[in-house]
Amino acid sequence: MYYEFMENIAQNNRLSDIHPGIKLVFGLGCILIAISSQSLIVPLLIIAITMFATLVLAKIDLKFYLMLLTVPLGFAIISVLVIIFLRNSGDVLLSIPVFDWFNIIVSTGSLNEGLLIFARVFAGMCSLFFIALTTPVTELFTIAAKCRIPHEFIDLAMLIYRFIFVLIEQAVQIHSSQVMRLGYGSTKEAINSYGMMAGSLFINTWVAGEDLMKAMDCRCYDGKFALNDDDLKFSPKLMIYVIIILAVLIIIAIYTYGFTLFGV
Amino acid sequence: MESIIELKNVCYKYPNGPKALDNVSLKINAGEKIALVGPNGAGKSTLLLMFNGMLKPDSGEILFNGEKVTYNKEALRELRRRVGFVFQNPDMQAIAPTVFQDVAFGPVNLGMSRDEVRSIVLDALNDTGLDGFERRPIHQLSGGEKKRVAMAGILAMDPDVLVFDEPTSALDPAGSEDIMELLDEMQINGKTIIISTHDVELAYPWADRVLLIKGGNLILEGKPGDVFYNKNLVKSCKLSMPVLLELYEGLAEKGMPSIETLPKSALDFITYLCENCGLQKMKENTPISGDIYLADAEHVSPEIVKDLLESGRIAAVGAMGTKAKAFAGNENISLEFTYGVIDKCVLKAINKKNTLILSSGGMFDRVRTRVETFNQEYDQSIRIIENF
Repeated sequence: MYYEFMENIAQNNRLSDIHPGIKLVFGLGCILIAISSQSLIVPLLIIAITMFATLVLAKIDLKFYLMLLTVPLGFAIISVLVIIFLRNSGDVLLSIPVFDWFNIIVSTGSLNEGLLIFARVFAGMCSLFFIALTTPVTELFTIAAKCRIPHEFIDLAMLIYRFIFVLIEQAVQIHSSQVMRLGYGSTKEAINSYGMMAGSLFINTWVAGEDLMKAMDCRCYDGKFALNDDDLKFSPKLMIYVIIILAVLIIIAIYTYGFTLFGV
Repeated sequence: MESIIELKNVCYKYPNGPKALDNVSLKINAGEKIALVGPNGAGKSTLLLMFNGMLKPDSGEILFNGEKVTYNKEALRELRRRVGFVFQNPDMQAIAPTVFQDVAFGPVNLGMSRDEVRSIVLDALNDTGLDGFERRPIHQLSGGEKKRVAMAGILAMDPDVLVFDEPTSALDPAGSEDIMELLDEMQINGKTIIISTHDVELAYPWADRVLLIKGGNLILEGKPGDVFYNKNLVKSCKLSMPVLLELYEGLAEKGMPSIETLPKSALDFITYLCENCGLQKMKENTPISGDIYLADAEHVSPEIVKDLLESGRIAAVGAMGTKAKAFAGNENISLEFTYGVIDKCVLKAINKKNTLILSSGGMFDRVRTRVETFNQEYDQSIRIIENF
């Protein structure tokens, strides 16, 4: 069975051969600049750049990408609407009377603030999805080790990573065998079946844990875990490009500090 | 021959369970290919787990290289390094997220340096035909590939004995044959191989010796022919007789003369028929038979092979070993034979057709010996051409 995991896409895209350090610096740099920017110009630029990198350079499927974006953006739009209607500063642009004593007011200040926050959220999401869609988790373990994160945490993370997929596979198997035997016919049955699935997953996980111990014993476990050998080439040239892009963004951010669409 | 593993009166009982092993004594010689067969629940897996100290016998003793196995932590680590165990379910064996990390698991824990680990892992992946899989996450691999990763992980620890629990279960027939050939290759490289299996068709031509186990007892051991030709015993162990032996038995009942060595392959069977069935006899075959071209896939230049193939002299190409198959894959050579290659090529040679075998160094002797024995036995003059 094939499931469209983001991880699978991260493993097989056109940027997966690029050193994860470069992608992380780019993605994290963009997030930091976006959320600390005081005007919406830089976040809009970042949206354009990261979308270009994700869709054109990494060749991620546009439909899948938009689908991913709708979830966080849906939340963002609702929150921003609340901000636009509740905050109150500057000139009134629109006033909707609800009761005699209560009007919903949209003012220039609230509109500016709402748009800025929306642009920041959007840019942050795009940067985050750039990292998530182009950098496989397996590469991050090596980076984490380089950042001196204690190897106990990394070992644990690796085991968790490996077993997430074992667990998903088992859950899907149990679920389909329940569906095949009409386990989700009525609501009551569905609740029952779901509980059964959780129960047997728990038992299976327990057994898998014991099997894991056996497998590790069989292979002379001595408290050590191998890391991927670092054979992805680190390209200094690319790193310099990334740093130039980030620097330009910072300079633009400084020059456009406080720029607003509607004036205050 | 020197015995590498020896069991003396081993008994084992699972807590709250029936007796899993009852007074089992056996010897396994260095360099042997052993197939352990028996019905479900016969104690095959239990017996296999004894070999690397995962289970400790309730009574009796186990000797490894003539020394009694002790069950302290250090001794067990050493034993497990020298006796590699490949589980039936490769998902259970895979520990780390990526192929490289998983294969490197053993070597890293044995305290090897980074460069050593790297070269060992790459070698093991090369031996199992998994070049270029290093960074792939294990959950994305197919069943056969996962099995190969499990094997590579064990090979990387360079054990003397390799124990496989059901190596071909849940694989497609081509995948099973590939795995069996991989086992052959390992044995040629000096390993002792022990497998448990239900698949008599695969075990029969492959094994040097068969151990038949039922209800925790070792009831028969011997040459594959001797064990599988025992119809009642095979039936009582819920196994089936290999098709070749069934045919042979049927013909013998019809009055065909019996022969000393039971037929192990289609070639054996065809020669048996030719000698006894009024077909053209082997010995009367015109002495000009086909040639077998033998090329070392590791050293031969692809141009020479392609020239030979284009000359039209070759009727079929076979590849023995992972490296030869990889070579054929890289050079887009379509392979007719990938399993039981020598016999199939000899068969073509009898029918006056030339064949090419791609192989790698260690397996050349096997080809030469098999063809020479055949030539002598049936007065044939099949030539092996190594320089062309």
